[in-house]
Amino acid sequence: MLRVAVLRISMAVPILFGVSVIVFLLMNVLPGSAEASLVSDDMSAAERQAIRDELGLNDPLPLRYLHWLGDALQGNLGYSAQRRRDVSDLLMQAWGNTAVLALVSAVFGISLGLWLGYVAGTRRGTLIDRLTGVLSLSGLSIPSFFLAIILLAVFAGWLRLLPSGGANLDSGLLMALRSLVLPVLSGSLITMAITARVTRASIVDVAGADFVETLRAKGLSEWEVRRHILRNAISPVLTTSGVQIGALLGGSVLVETIFRWPGMGLLVFTAISARDLLVVQGATLVIAVTFVLLNLVVDLLQAWIDPRVRGAVS
Amino acid sequence: MADLLELIDISKTFDVRSGGRRATLSAVDHVSLTVRPGTTLGIVGESGCGKSTLARVIVGLHLADDGELVFDGKQMLTGKRRTPGELKQMQMVFQDPSSALNPRATISESIAFPLQVQGASKSVIAERVATVMRDVGLPAAYASRYPHQLSGGQRQRVNIARALALQPKLVVLDEAVSALDKSIQAQVLNLLSDLQDEYGLTYVFISHDLNVVRYLSDDVAVMYLGQVVEQGSAQQLYDEPKHPYTQLLLSSVPTLDPAESTRDEPVDTADSTEIPSPIDPPSGCRFRTRCPFATDLCAQVVPVPIQVGEGRTVACHLYTTP
Amino acid sequence: MTEAVVPTLLDKSFGAGTTAADRDEAARRRDEWNAARTSEQPQSFWQATLRRFATNKVGVVAAGIVLLLVLGAIFAPLLTSADPLIGKPLDRLQNVGSPGHLLGTDEQGRDMLARVLYGGRLSLLAGFVPTIGAALIGTAIGVTSGIMRGAVGTVLMRTMDMLYAFPAILLAIAVGASLGPGLTNTIIAVTIVFVPPVARVAESATRRVVVQEFVEAARLSGASTLRVARTQVLPNVLNDVIVYASGLVGVAMIIAASLSFLGLGSAPPAPEWGYMLNSLRGMVSVAPLVAIVPGFFIFLTSVAFNLASDALREAMDSRL
Repeated sequence: MLRVAVLRISMAVPILFGVSVIVFLLMNVLPGSAEASLVSDDMSAAERQAIRDELGLNDPLPLRYLHWLGDALQGNLGYSAQRRRDVSDLLMQAWGNTAVLALVSAVFGISLGLWLGYVAGTRRGTLIDRLTGVLSLSGLSIPSFFLAIILLAVFAGWLRLLPSGGANLDSGLLMALRSLVLPVLSGSLITMAITARVTRASIVDVAGADFVETLRAKGLSEWEVRRHILRNAISPVLTTSGVQIGALLGGSVLVETIFRWPGMGLLVFTAISARDLLVVQGATLVIAVTFVLLNLVVDLLQAWIDPRVRGAVS
Repeated sequence: MADLLELIDISKTFDVRSGGRRATLSAVDHVSLTVRPGTTLGIVGESGCGKSTLARVIVGLHLADDGELVFDGKQMLTGKRRTPGELKQMQMVFQDPSSALNPRATISESIAFPLQVQGASKSVIAERVATVMRDVGLPAAYASRYPHQLSGGQRQRVNIARALALQPKLVVLDEAVSALDKSIQAQVLNLLSDLQDEYGLTYVFISHDLNVVRYLSDDVAVMYLGQVVEQGSAQQLYDEPKHPYTQLLLSSVPTLDPAESTRDEPVDTADSTEIPSPIDPPSGCRFRTRCPFATDLCAQVVPVPIQVGEGRTVACHLYTTP
Repeated sequence: MTEAVVPTLLDKSFGAGTTAADRDEAARRRDEWNAARTSEQPQSFWQATLRRFATNKVGVVAAGIVLLLVLGAIFAPLLTSADPLIGKPLDRLQNVGSPGHLLGTDEQGRDMLARVLYGGRLSLLAGFVPTIGAALIGTAIGVTSGIMRGAVGTVLMRTMDMLYAFPAILLAIAVGASLGPGLTNTIIAVTIVFVPPVARVAESATRRVVVQEFVEAARLSGASTLRVARTQVLPNVLNDVIVYASGLVGVAMIIAASLSFLGLGSAPPAPEWGYMLNSLRGMVSVAPLVAIVPGFFIFLTSVAFNLASDALREAMDSRL
């Protein structure tokens, strides 16, 4: 197990390196690159040159990357001229809020999806199976921001049951929970949908396996048999949940924008509107790195639960 | 008459990963064989003994690490890709009738493909496809069908037709009937036998099934863990096996004749089911771990094949130290 | 895999009679028997898939909806005379079903039906073009690295892994933000997001195909690697790619709509569905039905594509 862990971690390092290269290239090579947000059209050529020199933009690309990476590793992601703050300060502040929202959404979406998928998979063809099918299809097909708008209109606008936005995480548990309901619902429907689909398929797959027949023949109770099925069916579910958390982190840009949730997503949205690309770059890097690390945790968890995955490494 | 195919000291290893470590698998080890024109050489051995690798080295699908190959009086490179002109002289019939045909191509497309690659004209291709289909006993109406619409035996006929399309001199049959039902096996074996006469073909027939090998072969070579341990004419080898491994193999062939039954007198007293890994083969004689007659010498010295009769060789210390 | 039931054909030994008449009669019956058993129609994989798809009611309805949406977008000028860009301010926020405005009007009094139909052009384009683009590029990358196991394959697939390490929508947003707003840039961004997963699907399918014996047989005939890839590997990889890509069209539309929602999509006032949804967002309490029209169409299209994709997967599933 230790060997597997070391191997997995060592495999994550080049991926993290690649992620940083891609983030750097996105903001420095493509036409709308970071310097464009600093250099304006009415500057003279000499002024532009001065800014470029000062920022080290005339250095060769690999050198600039190394500088940027060195700064980033020390927690320096640049200075947002628009917000007059260090990008890392802005991100630090927002990261916690996004983490809370993504974590609650993930727990809610994955556990509900697991339960629905399990029930649907073990009772195939019943009403609840078909309802789960419809629900997961809808969840896959509805844009999260559309769902958010509908939920807002119904629960905040029409029924006035829940706040229409903002994060009240510091004003007591009840207020915090009330402010979480709508963002979590709109963000996690797709997580639930995909988890339910994968769980159902996996349960159906495992339930048809020969070993289940053997367990029944051995006289195990139905309850124990189902425990065995679930344990064998969980692996593909875990694989997708890593991707799901990524989708939640990415989707946060939309959900947070609509609910004015002061996290990384809202930060990215305001930065895009203001062409504040250093903030977009920093946020992209942090979210992607978080995603890679989360996937690493999921991988390790999977290797711990499923001996087949452990074996596949060697 | 000169041999059509001569293999001299062919070796082939693969780099594999075993338990996370790099290792070398010795699939074919210093194999020398000859095949006379118009005859069938049977190669027999358990699965994993390197038969299929050897087949692929002969036709040029695998590059050998070492050794020489003389075909029809000309030396062919074993370590380099062959030219299309060299490839067409030897063709192969594959084991699995379901994976040997492209599921997206019709029967006639599959048979025509090698002809197209070799640059034949449309009319030549059409005529040749019709001829080989008739020769292998496939109704012309099957030309436009897809593999999934055919039975296993019929698919194997298509495989044979494709191999014959280029009019090769030598056909390597790699477990060509193993995946078929017994009754179909007999039909295909008869077909192969007829085609050999009609086309004047030379076969290298590879199988784990000793009965099947005996039916078709003039000469037989027995392989164990990448090495040829015994070879000779089919008659001699089956009547009077010399190598302990050949004896073991023959004793495990099921027979219907109670007088021939060897069930109550097993040759092998050693642990005969456990086959050592070709990644780390036993020192000296590779068979010694399963051999009831193994001595200290067998662990130290590799037995070389020695002549024990007309066209008969055995690689065993029982015959080197009288 | 189940073995096809193949009838035995009768040969000359059947009905060997003594008289010439007997033999003729036997020959006639033999030919009749054989003809009846060889008349089975040859069916290619795609013909069989199409036939099975046609028996799936849900799939057919879904494909029909997709077709209607595409036709509606193409023939928008024939279906409505209203201008999608200019409206009458006096007619603003007419409800769904009001006379002359089947789907109501938006906050500037523009006819929603016209905007939805014309907007379908942009939204469907944003769904199809990146999917097709990514399918082509991804298949090329996947098949190449599946066949060439060496350094080339490794470098290609590791690059894909790195792009895959980003949450899809975040990568689209980051690329979109770097390229700037516009439909073309949205399409480029979504294409970049889809290439790695398509390449993975194509690569694993290729690895499965190249070890099959018919590929060895093709190499044995002297065919070049490129020819083997084109004639033997590609036709057997395409079905996996097509099933996977058909499920991406809906996702592409949602991502494209998300980008326009964030102000990175097509330039206003062009009626793209995501942009329409955003601009009507404030009206959701005033005219809720009108406000959800664009969202409903994104949803409908996406559902239709997902259902059609599932049906296609099922139709292909009986492995031929």
